[in-house]
Amino acid sequence: MQRKNFIQSILPLTALLTQSTGTLAQQTAIPTKPLTIPNYLQPGDCIGITCPAGYLTLDEVQPAVSKLTEWGYTIQLGSTVGTRYGSFAATDAERQQDLQAMLNSTTIKAILCGRGGYGCNRIIDGLSFTAFAKYPKWLIGFSDITLLHSHIHTQYNIATLHSKMCNSFLADWTKAEPAQLLSIESIHKALQGNTPMQYQCNAHASNKLGTATGVLVGGNLSILCSAIGTSSQLHTSGAILFLEEVGEYLYSIDRMLRTMQRSGALAHIKALIIGGFKHKPSEKPEEEFNETVVDIVLNITKEYNYPICFNFMVGHQKANDALKCGVPHTLLVSKQYVTLTEQLHTPKKKKNKL
Amino acid sequence: MNLTIPPYLKKGDTIAITCPAGYMDAAKAITCISTLQSWGLHVVVGNTLGSSSKTYFSGTDAQRRDELQAMLNEPTIKAILCGRGGYGIGRIIDALDFSLYAQNPKWIIGFSDVTVLHSHIHTVLQCATLHAPMAAAFNKGNSTANAIASIKDALLGKKTTYTHTPHKYNITGKATGLLVGGNLSLIAHLIGTSSDIHTHGKILCLEDVGEQLYNIDRMLYQLKRAQKLENLAGLILGGFTDCKDTERPFGKKIDALIKDVLGDVTYPVAYHFPISHGRHNVAVKLGVTHTLTVTARQVQLKQL
Repeated sequence: MQRKNFIQSILPLTALLTQSTGTLAQQTAIPTKPLTIPNYLQPGDCIGITCPAGYLTLDEVQPAVSKLTEWGYTIQLGSTVGTRYGSFAATDAERQQDLQAMLNSTTIKAILCGRGGYGCNRIIDGLSFTAFAKYPKWLIGFSDITLLHSHIHTQYNIATLHSKMCNSFLADWTKAEPAQLLSIESIHKALQGNTPMQYQCNAHASNKLGTATGVLVGGNLSILCSAIGTSSQLHTSGAILFLEEVGEYLYSIDRMLRTMQRSGALAHIKALIIGGFKHKPSEKPEEEFNETVVDIVLNITKEYNYPICFNFMVGHQKANDALKCGVPHTLLVSKQYVTLTEQLHTPKKKKNKL
Repeated sequence: MNLTIPPYLKKGDTIAITCPAGYMDAAKAITCISTLQSWGLHVVVGNTLGSSSKTYFSGTDAQRRDELQAMLNEPTIKAILCGRGGYGIGRIIDALDFSLYAQNPKWIIGFSDVTVLHSHIHTVLQCATLHAPMAAAFNKGNSTANAIASIKDALLGKKTTYTHTPHKYNITGKATGLLVGGNLSLIAHLIGTSSDIHTHGKILCLEDVGEQLYNIDRMLYQLKRAQKLENLAGLILGGFTDCKDTERPFGKKIDALIKDVLGDVTYPVAYHFPISHGRHNVAVKLGVTHTLTVTARQVQLKQL
């Protein structure tokens, strides 16, 4: 009895102690493995296309097939391309099997997701990454695919490619805006791996100036938020974090960013990159949230001193350049412009051999 | 097994109304105030109710925090009723000091955004709170008579027992545990924070309003993947009011969606329990031991 009382009396104290650190979930997700960068693609290499979330018609995939073929790659369409099950491309089991087959395949050198939508979280716990970890390949996509980026970074520390997907390739490129073309070309450049990735965007009046080097991680805010507390939670400590969002209410953006902050995800990053954040206006205009996305970001990060830039070319928009997740980059936020530059990565093992 | 239960209210006790989140017109709280007075309670109203704020919020973060803090600290206030939810408690929760509240716990009343307070207090302070309709619910047509009567019963210390009709997806069984939960969006958003709720061995109740079906699915998957739905004593699904669907339809209605995420759970599950953003929203004491009995004929939630 006495012991029970004692335990009860100390419980509030331990609870307060965990509160003060406030990063319990964060601590469970620390990548300890060295970074692996999948092999870059050679002409003739095969890219698999699969739809792990929303559906895509065969017509919609054609522009991507044409462009990738033009780049010299061969294409293998998965069984989930051109099928539909509700808002999904196929049942959970079918989407899982298709992606699993591509993860396991030794002939497929990269996996491009057809589109986002919703659904990766329903299959991720059923996927085995054993073969993929042994023979890593580029996994490509964004939005709902953020969950795969986050999971693979945290669990396996293998680089992935955050970029446009098949539904962003145009049938008629003469109608494309320059930013769109550049974003599509950036996928090719990233997959070739000949030169480090470099990005430059305009200065924004609210940017917080500075320079930082760290591993580039991030993606869709909603998805990163909904991965908290799970085995896919993104490890952000020491990283340059990029975030993008679309179609969410401003209050919801505030709530999600505060969840990120309260879970410890914003305290130990080296820099923050804010991409496109096209929000959904309130259905009751008189009740519209009184802060802009810029206000929200600056308010929540006001205690932190790292550089922050806005309007970066990542998100649900025409300018959405391919970003190598898990790879070290340097961000420079100056008064005149913003640059992000991929750092040359020398795997530790090779170093030891030399 | 119970957490600390704040003293129940007696006639003459003071109940305070504050708006820790969204803006609320004072006129919308008039019926609430007169009803509380008719129960013999002394009502004090904070400045955040019917404030001069022109923003989404009832006041600045500092104003809302300071008012709630003063009410938490004030020993003569025996209960704090949140005027309404909306959004905003997540912005002030880390700036609140619960040390005086912990010495003299009092009833915190509300739902929706107030789920942040319920969860935080449950996890960090281990005190019971009241998940119940808020001020506007007292206005004509907004609530069932049962819902309003249940607030009075709960606050004055009556042990509550609610019965409800069966549902084809219910999973029968009987379970006893602490009642926890609230709004699904908030419960999901608290995962990984200091206000995160531990659910194992407990009866979890969930409700939501105005969310996209795919988003409800995603949040339930987050709960599932974060082990929040494992080893529950029982699960109570309240209203999922005004669900929205995407241009490309999700393909399932809300009940089937939930059933699908739950899979083959073995604990008792009750659907459409009267905890919601609709008219059916009974007061339930979170952090208090209840027995959930789900049979083919009825659902019963009984406070022990």
